[in-house]
Amino acid sequence: MILTRRRVMKVGGGFLAALVTRPAFVWADDIIEVVMQGKADGSHVWYDPVGIHVKPGQTIRWTNRDPGNSHTVTAYHPEIFDRPRRIPAAAKPWDSDYLLPNESFSVTLTVEGVYDYYCVPHEHAGMVGRIVVGNPSSNETAGAADADLTPLPEVALNGFPSVDEIVAKGIVHSV
Amino acid sequence: MKLIPTALAILLAGSFSAFAHDVPAEIAKAPPAGAFKAVSSLVKLPDFLPGMGQLFVDPASLPAGPFLAYDHDGKLVSTIYMLPVKDLNPDKSFNDLAAPGGNVDHVDVYYNAGHPGVEEPHVHVVLWHVSAADEALVAK
Repeated sequence: MILTRRRVMKVGGGFLAALVTRPAFVWADDIIEVVMQGKADGSHVWYDPVGIHVKPGQTIRWTNRDPGNSHTVTAYHPEIFDRPRRIPAAAKPWDSDYLLPNESFSVTLTVEGVYDYYCVPHEHAGMVGRIVVGNPSSNETAGAADADLTPLPEVALNGFPSVDEIVAKGIVHSV
Repeated sequence: MKLIPTALAILLAGSFSAFAHDVPAEIAKAPPAGAFKAVSSLVKLPDFLPGMGQLFVDPASLPAGPFLAYDHDGKLVSTIYMLPVKDLNPDKSFNDLAAPGGNVDHVDVYYNAGHPGVEEPHVHVVLWHVSAADEALVAK
């Protein structure tokens, strides 16, 4: 089961700075924070961290910290924009829709496995992320190939940290 | 012979007036008239984009534009074209793009990763109608 929640956050600069610099401790019961960021001229956009290892039932919250752009958090799944499935078969997909600056979106993941997601307007710029929930028995993420589904562009495929790296480090930051 | 300098002066004056392309009143201040719509009313983007300003576009001209950009006081500061990278190839061209904004002080060209409305990597071609120093008017 996946629980979603949209929240609009109007926060001051001090709290914002504290949030961004907060150390990630992915096995704690805290909500895991992921920020959506971009360069001022829009030439580069990213999720940070780009890879996280969490336990089943933990909540991940994405917040748009890019003052000049909108972003989404969208699971790869045939039910959403006819994309290949890259989340566990038993999990439900999600789509945040566009988040304006300082808006947030949360998902609670209870099914073990590997979840890949992307930003709708920035997939072709390589803005993707990966979550590993629990200790999946294999690195399997994708469903069967289907010609009716839009495949991932190469730049997106190259953007995912490996499952092994995520499990080993717990958290993988964007570079 | 005295006629020659006079004629030259008249000719040059006429030329300069032709070069001095004033901003049409209908677009000099935000919101521009005609088919232009606020970008934030068309797609989910902030109304004022740091580095560019408040953008307006004729939806029929997407994705290239022109996008008209205004500062916080509603003054036109730039005309922007957004050209998808995949369309910059031997089989595609962008010709006769409208340029209604008047005099151009300088031009910036840079890569953009994408945003709602132009959801793919593209190039921004920015015709600045203000000085480089006055770009600060839309910096934040």
